Amino acid sequence: MNLKNRFFKLKRDLNRWSLLLLLILGIVSVPILTIGFKLFGGPGESWNHIVDYVLFDYLKNSFLLALFCSVIVILFGVTTAWLVSRFEFPFRKQLEWLLILPLSVPAYIMAYAYAGVFGYSGLFSKLMEFFGNGDFRIEVMNIYGLSLILSISLFPYVYVSSRTFFLAQATNLLEASRMLGISEFKSFFKLIFPLARPAILAGLVLVLMEVLNDYGAASYYGVSTFTTGIFRSWFSLGEPETAIYLSAILLLIVFGLILFEKWQRRHLNFTAAKTSKQNYNSRIKPKKANQVWFSVICFVPVFLGFVLPVIQLLIWLKQTFASVWTVEFISVTLESFGIAFLTASITVLFALLLLFFTKWNKIELLKSSSKLGVLGYAIPGIIIAIGVLIPSLYLDKWLIEKNITSKLILNATLIALVYAYVVRFLAVAYQPLESSSLKIDRSLSDSSKVLGKGNFKTFFKIEFPLIRVGMLSAFILVFIDILKELPLTLIMKPYDVNTLAVKAFEYASDEMVSSAALPSLLIILTALIPAIFLNKLLLKNASNS
Amino acid sequence: MQATLNITNLSKSFDQGKVKALEDVTFHVNPGDICAVVGESGSGKTTLIRLIAGLEELDSGEIHIENHLVASIKKNVAPEKRDVGMVFQEYALFPHLSVLDNVVYGIKKSKSKKDTALETLDLVGLKGYEKRYPHELSGGQQQRVALARALAPKPSVLILDEPFSNLDAMMRYRLRNEVFNIIKKTGVTAIFVTHDTQDALAVADEILILQNGKLVQKDEASALYKKPQSIYVASLFGNTVQLNKGLQTAFKCPLKEDCCHAIRNESITVNQDCDYVSEAEILKRTFLGTHSQLLLKLDNGEHLTVVTSEPVLGNTIKIGFNSKDVLAFDE
Repeated sequence: MNLKNRFFKLKRDLNRWSLLLLLILGIVSVPILTIGFKLFGGPGESWNHIVDYVLFDYLKNSFLLALFCSVIVILFGVTTAWLVSRFEFPFRKQLEWLLILPLSVPAYIMAYAYAGVFGYSGLFSKLMEFFGNGDFRIEVMNIYGLSLILSISLFPYVYVSSRTFFLAQATNLLEASRMLGISEFKSFFKLIFPLARPAILAGLVLVLMEVLNDYGAASYYGVSTFTTGIFRSWFSLGEPETAIYLSAILLLIVFGLILFEKWQRRHLNFTAAKTSKQNYNSRIKPKKANQVWFSVICFVPVFLGFVLPVIQLLIWLKQTFASVWTVEFISVTLESFGIAFLTASITVLFALLLLFFTKWNKIELLKSSSKLGVLGYAIPGIIIAIGVLIPSLYLDKWLIEKNITSKLILNATLIALVYAYVVRFLAVAYQPLESSSLKIDRSLSDSSKVLGKGNFKTFFKIEFPLIRVGMLSAFILVFIDILKELPLTLIMKPYDVNTLAVKAFEYASDEMVSSAALPSLLIILTALIPAIFLNKLLLKNASNS
Repeated sequence: MQATLNITNLSKSFDQGKVKALEDVTFHVNPGDICAVVGESGSGKTTLIRLIAGLEELDSGEIHIENHLVASIKKNVAPEKRDVGMVFQEYALFPHLSVLDNVVYGIKKSKSKKDTALETLDLVGLKGYEKRYPHELSGGQQQRVALARALAPKPSVLILDEPFSNLDAMMRYRLRNEVFNIIKKTGVTAIFVTHDTQDALAVADEILILQNGKLVQKDEASALYKKPQSIYVASLFGNTVQLNKGLQTAFKCPLKEDCCHAIRNESITVNQDCDYVSEAEILKRTFLGTHSQLLLKLDNGEHLTVVTSEPVLGNTIKIGFNSKDVLAFDE
């Protein structure tokens, strides 16, 4: 097509939806663009000191954390997923959804609970006393303890993605392998594990992003990572420029991870095409002794990731309830839920706009770049916070200079906090919406249009009624994520507003970790909803496929 | 007579020009005619009707409906403003709306929306089904609701995308005649996509053949069958044997060298007097119910497969064909 025709085509296809899509993409890319733009300003005074003395530690600790966590989550996640998908053993059905529960315990709360379990006069030391070895202690507040805690809190990501694969994709190749005389055990390693690699990797990348995003657990255990380093540079050293440089390195690592995952998936795409559905109605029934072992193996992560921390929190709750349950606490709870509700609604709205503006826009290039809008979830919260804080400071300064306002209307206000949340969690809302909209046959909206209804009428009359469930799941998932969110909230929240996550963090930082039990348990209790919801959705999808 | 649908030099590609779906397609459909679009998978049939409906944007060319320009490189009228009705392959009935609401959906503002819908449902033989939901209907009934829904707004052009592909053979045959009788009764200009040449031969006034995105022939059904312009078109409408040098020698039929020649399987006769004849040894017989398939070895060693409904005895037969049945195409 010649240049003239290209121009005519562009002019013809450019509609108001393309412009609105551009606007949304612009709004959500501000934080990343800010980081990129500010890099040109050069690093702060302490940058050389950081490079010489601490950068290596940040890199080493973040790398070790990622490495240890990868090994542990694969071990826990893949083993349990394989056992519950392939074998029949006592409590299998219950364990199948119990294994998702650790997702409801945020890593920082897990970290507080374990510090209590293994602390002086904690459950572990009492147990040792009972066995007459009261002096024996295990130190968990180091990088190894942190790795274990992050892993048992995050392994369900790998468990869920692997189990989905095992339930829907594991294949008659397995039967062929058994017919060729290869044992179940060998077939797993020779056949199923390589086939499941893309699914495992998808779960693992989510885990690694969460590990890199973690601030609460790492700072409580005193392990220096990139995220704690960025915090320190900004708040202790007072050098936003240095924080931006560290953020840029962290961003590069995250984008590297995403590209690696995509590359791996492309490389292994043949697996999806060549595997077929397997009916797991007839699970293998192993010997009695093995059945008990399988139950124990599956129960260990549930115990470590949910039962034990919750027991510790309940013990603390009994000790501190009276002092923590105050009018102020109730108001924090209401504020926390209110912010989560407001932001989840706005985020779902934004996700809907992004999804449908992309659909209604006719310019191919814009369609393919619309995914940029949901990169926020991959970017650590602290980076988004910095990326929002800087432009809002500039904007406020400009507004005051121009006498449009006399006080800060963006920085350290709810507007900036909600905006940062929307950027961070847009992907969480977008994915269930996108998948429920993809389930609607394209010909339904096409036929509505051919029958004389425009985009809006088609949306309200046909698409909206069919994606309501997707919208509800998007809302619940974002709601819970906001309730649990810590690093971004710590930086962005207005001084007169508090959330349950921040309250728990403050108690823990002020050496009152037992008082963190009430806000922590409230978060866990609320987060249980999507954990159970997710399991039902998974089972439904598996049975549909 | 002014054509209802006029397509000029239509081209469309995907994946930034890498995949050419349609190339320079030009044709028109007269008012009240039924035009079938036939071609193999990937020949561009669906792209063509989606462009007519306005569900895709063209790269070059023009589309006129009722003499109005609806698509060009500079202009693209939205599907909802094109006055086109469409029956989708999977029917695309709105699952949360009743049969009546599905049919009412596209009727433009008028006082008698409901009456129009009921009349159309009556036309397709679904009176009394108004309150049912799509999942409560059989495949054939769903098909008729889809037709009623597309006809109710009285479009200028009705498009049907593989309308019978989801039905079993019996239902397909019955519904095909019903559907096209209804379409003829309404007088709407229709264009329908099919990969089944029997559908096209049975009901279309004109048939359009697409091959790799190019329009290779457009003709009436009988003309298309009798005078296909390429071996591709001939093969679409029945088993065709290309008469290569070896077969020409075996049948002693010297044909022009600058042409490609073929003979339809049904034109080859067994043990009858013909213009061109050859002795053949039967290597294999396959019983196919109403007829048999024979794998033959001709005089000069050439192999040929023919289908015959005549009883064939012995191991050697005489087969042949007449010169008037030989199809000739430019090479």
